[in-house]
Amino acid sequence: MDKVAIVGFYQVKPGLDLMMSPYEMLFEATRGALDHAGLKRDDLSTVIGCNNDYYDGKTISNCFKVEAGGAYMKDESKVEMDGAHAVMYGLMRILSGNHKLAMVYGISAPSCFPYESVRILETDPTFDRPINLLNGYTAGGMQMRAYLNAFGLSEEDIAKVAVYNLKNAAKNPLAIPEAQKTNITVDEVLNSEMLSAPLKKLMYPILCDGVTALILAPERQARKITDKPVWITGVGHFNDTYYLGDRDLSSCSSMEKAAEKAYKIAGINNPKSEINVAELFGHTACEDLILAEAAGLADKGKGLSLIDTGKLNPSGGTMAGYTPAANGLTRIVEAVKQIRGEAEGHQISGANKAIASGQVGFCAQNNIVYVLEGGE
Amino acid sequence: MANVQPAVISAGFCEHASKRSDVNMAELVNEAVEDCLNKAGSVEWKDIDYVINGNMPAFEGANMPELWMTDHMAAKNKPLLRVTTGGTTGGSVFVSGYYAVASGLYDMVLAVAFEQQSCGNTTVGLASVALGELSIYPSLGYEATRLRRNMGAGAAIGVASYQAMNYMRRSKATEEDLARVVVQNRRNAAKNWWTHLKMPTITIEDVLDTPYISYPLRFGMVCPASDGACAVLFTTEEKAKQIADVPVYINGVGSYANEPAIIGVDCGGAGQTDPCEQLGAVKSAELAYSQAGISFPNKEIDYAEVYSPFPNQELQWVERVGLFEPNSAPEAYLNGVTALNGEMPVNCSGGVNSTNAIGASAMERPAESALQIMGKAGNQVPKTVHTALGHGWGGAINLISHVVMADEPQRKFK
Repeated sequence: MDKVAIVGFYQVKPGLDLMMSPYEMLFEATRGALDHAGLKRDDLSTVIGCNNDYYDGKTISNCFKVEAGGAYMKDESKVEMDGAHAVMYGLMRILSGNHKLAMVYGISAPSCFPYESVRILETDPTFDRPINLLNGYTAGGMQMRAYLNAFGLSEEDIAKVAVYNLKNAAKNPLAIPEAQKTNITVDEVLNSEMLSAPLKKLMYPILCDGVTALILAPERQARKITDKPVWITGVGHFNDTYYLGDRDLSSCSSMEKAAEKAYKIAGINNPKSEINVAELFGHTACEDLILAEAAGLADKGKGLSLIDTGKLNPSGGTMAGYTPAANGLTRIVEAVKQIRGEAEGHQISGANKAIASGQVGFCAQNNIVYVLEGGE
Repeated sequence: MANVQPAVISAGFCEHASKRSDVNMAELVNEAVEDCLNKAGSVEWKDIDYVINGNMPAFEGANMPELWMTDHMAAKNKPLLRVTTGGTTGGSVFVSGYYAVASGLYDMVLAVAFEQQSCGNTTVGLASVALGELSIYPSLGYEATRLRRNMGAGAAIGVASYQAMNYMRRSKATEEDLARVVVQNRRNAAKNWWTHLKMPTITIEDVLDTPYISYPLRFGMVCPASDGACAVLFTTEEKAKQIADVPVYINGVGSYANEPAIIGVDCGGAGQTDPCEQLGAVKSAELAYSQAGISFPNKEIDYAEVYSPFPNQELQWVERVGLFEPNSAPEAYLNGVTALNGEMPVNCSGGVNSTNAIGASAMERPAESALQIMGKAGNQVPKTVHTALGHGWGGAINLISHVVMADEPQRKFK
């Protein structure tokens, strides 16, 4: 794979309700990313957006985001999954040689829509929808039960992950204040409201408005634009079957395959020792562990050990603020910051090789993983 | 231009109708996928290494349906990407199929686009495109009655009638000219197996005898709402030569975004006063032609499929993409230039005017163009087609896709 770099990025500071129109939010992000890279809008050749018509409450929600997204009279398209998937399309456009500079953005404003209720429309309309039992909470609950049972772990172990994430969020200036809990304890997590047994409220992320944008460039252009390019050296993308009953929820086979492919492209043989930072998009504290294990960062059932090393989600992950359609992008941007040494309160010293992931679907059905590297 | 030369080796369809109540969405998609793979020679499901899917999200009331349709389109344990851009969705899915191969990351890519409009209410879905934006107008002193009058024509046709009037004023086209386009499309559709409105004996008088929906567009000129799906298989030049009798090389793609236009006034920023000007289509076509090394599209292109739910759009698009001089399309249609045996056949599949499964429509355009080059189209033109284009539009007539294909790959001249 030819080298492609992330040369600029910007994340709008998320909040429960930003009281901004989506176009204002989007403009701040795209303008911010261009300024960060020291580029003009004229320099862009393609723009890939990521938003979801149901989350935006509007059909063809990208058609009015043309101007704010910087896409006017640019080769434009939209991916309706996670922001990380949109990066894949941007990457393809750069690798094709047709484009030299791609803007990718992900946006949603859950303050304007009932995200968890809207997820009923993601279920299979013949069986799951009429029964109306499958949603983000129940899927997370079943997955957590499967994981605990498979490896003989306790709810306390997952609560430890939630505490770890929320404490990390406290060090991340771009986490929402509601998630920044310096003094949180395991007991507090275990005593929080039950969402769907055994999943507790504090093991589940808080929805917030937000936009993240980044700019991709091929090697030659990247070296001219920035002194600190972060290279995408590997990418893997896999999709599993939909029905939860057909999958082993205690692990995540699509993530395993995606990571394996990404490592192969990047030439990584031993992810456990080679990867310094992992910014993974897990829907729950438990899923963070499942994804990290699937990505080969720890043995199966031993993911908990990662919180001692601190290399899993130093930003707090999605627990620092969950923005549908932008989560994966935010993870990538966080990993990029780590490699550039610009993660303010939560910098891992010496981070040079990172992975970042995005996903869609219940229990992480469709996963995409990037290997990011600094240096020459 | 691309580092890897992508090619189309197969295109499949399901039968389109107003209500395909015999199948659900997943089965509908599966019909097109099976048809595509059956025509693809030795290719099997396991050979596919990337799957791209798209439809109009709001029409069936299903968000990201590709997740539960996974098993019906060979996407289990494979990468699956969803691309949606409104009416352009099919075209955008096609373009992303091109990029998946051109990137060098994947070499057997299945792109699927579909719509089962009978599962939902399209007009309600479309109304939400504009309503959110128009809600600002009352606060700016725009009277509610006037707003209602402007929106009164409904969703897509509301935009199209403004477009039609602008076009007719520019080109002096008459209602007969519009009806002539409809007659050509519906008669063509009668000869193509998968289409929806098959009318082999329709006349201009029949069309002009129907009531107005929104001046100047009459009931008989409006596209149907269809259920249907389309699947296309992309691969590299090397593999295509081994697999297909006539590989169709994709030599240029463009998908420019213009500013959105609703009812002739723009709500997104600046003012777009002429919705038939279509700068986005002009620029997309220019980009695709320059990639494909085409200097004289009106001479070098042998066949065109343009996205035209309404007949005025067909006249306007063939001019904007450079096939005819501005304002000359009505005369070309009168003289039979665009007919099956004409010099520049257009929409011999029957076009969107005869079959509109919205998410799939913009993919059916390049898919049919590819089949014409292969010589396997349902309504095959008698002459040999070397170079063909497939065009799509969507959003508030601002998102464009433009694909140029040929039986010869584009060589790099660098």
